[in-house]
Amino acid sequence: MIRGVTRRPLLGLLIPAAVAVLFIALPLIGLLLHVDWSNLPSQLVSTDVLTALRLSLECSIIAVAVSLIIGVPLAYLLARTGLPGRRVIRGLVTLPLVLPPVVGGIALQTALGRTTPIGTVLDHFGIVLPFSTAGAAIAEAFVGFPFLVITVEAGLRQRDDHFEEMAATLGARPWRRFWQVTMPLAAPSIAAGAALCWARALGEFGATITFAGSFPGTTETLPIAAYTSFEGSGQIGMAITLSLLLLAISVLVLVVLRDRWLGALR
Amino acid sequence: MTLQARIRTRLGGLHLECDLSVDSNVTVAVLGPNGAGKTTLLRVVAGLVPLDEGRIQVDGTVFEDTSTRARLTPEARRVGFVFQDHGLFPHLSVVDNVAFGLRARGVDRKTALARAHEWLERVDLARYAGSRPAALSGGQSQRAALARVLVTDPQALLLDEPLAAVDASGRLDLRRALREHLATFTGVRLIVTHDPLEAASLAERVVVLEDGQVTQEGDFREVSSRPRSAWIARMAGLNLLRGSVSSGTLLLEDGSGLTVVTDVRGQALATIQPRAVALYRTAPDGSPRNVLRCTVAGVDPEGDRWRIRLDGPFPLVAEVTPAAASELRLAEGGEVFAVVKATEIDVYSL
Repeated sequence: MIRGVTRRPLLGLLIPAAVAVLFIALPLIGLLLHVDWSNLPSQLVSTDVLTALRLSLECSIIAVAVSLIIGVPLAYLLARTGLPGRRVIRGLVTLPLVLPPVVGGIALQTALGRTTPIGTVLDHFGIVLPFSTAGAAIAEAFVGFPFLVITVEAGLRQRDDHFEEMAATLGARPWRRFWQVTMPLAAPSIAAGAALCWARALGEFGATITFAGSFPGTTETLPIAAYTSFEGSGQIGMAITLSLLLLAISVLVLVVLRDRWLGALR
Repeated sequence: MTLQARIRTRLGGLHLECDLSVDSNVTVAVLGPNGAGKTTLLRVVAGLVPLDEGRIQVDGTVFEDTSTRARLTPEARRVGFVFQDHGLFPHLSVVDNVAFGLRARGVDRKTALARAHEWLERVDLARYAGSRPAALSGGQSQRAALARVLVTDPQALLLDEPLAAVDASGRLDLRRALREHLATFTGVRLIVTHDPLEAASLAERVVVLEDGQVTQEGDFREVSSRPRSAWIARMAGLNLLRGSVSSGTLLLEDGSGLTVVTDVRGQALATIQPRAVALYRTAPDGSPRNVLRCTVAGVDPEGDRWRIRLDGPFPLVAEVTPAAASELRLAEGGEVFAVVKATEIDVYSL
């Protein structure tokens, strides 16, 4: 809330604040200035870009789906029940938020790599996660799913179980209450959590490249493609095009869904 | 049909301890101040709060019995509970809200919707069937909530402060509508309210609940004219005194005495109507009258009757006309003599 007395900002604060705005804006402006607009259309529809885009969408959507299936039940248990060890579990879930993604990738490798117990079992069924598309999706889910759990848990906590109680007195059994009352009422926060999770998964780089590598068509998602064309082949033009694509998607997520979805976080 | 409950439950600072027998041929209102445990009482009957000890039974159905560890879940009790805020599901249309209970109990969608529409007609909300609850006024939402529980044909109907979420202008109509629906409902009817007027207009029988305990029960006139607690007396606008009677004198706990006319002996309660308290500047003399020297503690002008709060041997409220008040030059701190005829003191045994 803006109070009358603080409406006129202190000049001493105005300068660092202006620097902060420039700090965020300048790199983006720089990016836009270096876009080769005449070649942009042809680069955007080039096979390399389309392949990376398709792969990115595939992996990030799988990551969101996995996060929804395992994250929503966890958020519900954390928010509404006396689950033992709630605080420890909550801390554990939040960890990927602050963990360097590379560490996440290495950790996934040590848990699900081919020579690990789980990896061996999966191998037996012909499933290999490291350096595969499924592995890239797993890495993205690992990094993205805390956003979903935290958002959905906060949304569920916002309401008490008033409506569930009402449903119970009307004769609804626990599962009906969950599907017909709890879930629809939590829908805005689930959507917000899924959007954040998706945005994070789409931009995921460190865990993915460590666990899944960068094989064009298999694990080379948009951010990885941008990095390899920038660093490896020195195609800065292509790197800028890919960055522009990611920036456009991010802005789109932010602008289109800001009020409706992120509103649930407030 | 009869609801019989022996309830012993601790919840936070509340210690609910009450026995209740509600017959379906009368509507019963549980009346009491805020925090007395009224809502908790309904929640216990509905199964949302467990009993620590006791038994709840409606006709042959045992809802809960701590001695046999029998306990039906809320969804297994056929109870229609209308929450104070009505609790309409915000994500469902009005008609889907009304159909919810039927669907939950296994009625197919088509039949459930047809019966929900029927009930919306009955509560005069047919044109709102497709609307969201947010579009309804307080009174409409109360009627929708009522339809939602009545459509399931419950054994008992529990209403929590039915008029609280309705603005004053809608209350009169809603109260009439409520009375009609209560009259046609054949199961147990239990209403919770803090408003004596609401209790009087909706129920035939009143149970007064204070601090988790039943302090009085009976028909409304009996309860309000012969209150057994300070709260009820205040609600009914009466002066309530407590003492013991011997040979025509009511001896109060503070040591003062009042001349009374009664057959009651021993411990007793007595009420005095505020308008039966006459005020004088100087001490009048004579007859079987009680004269009390008081100071004026406060003057509350209320229309053509002013309420005068008095400090004397015991606190007393008198009611006088504005003309009399100005003639007596009543002001806070001023001295007056309050006079009460012995025949104006209603004495009844404790």
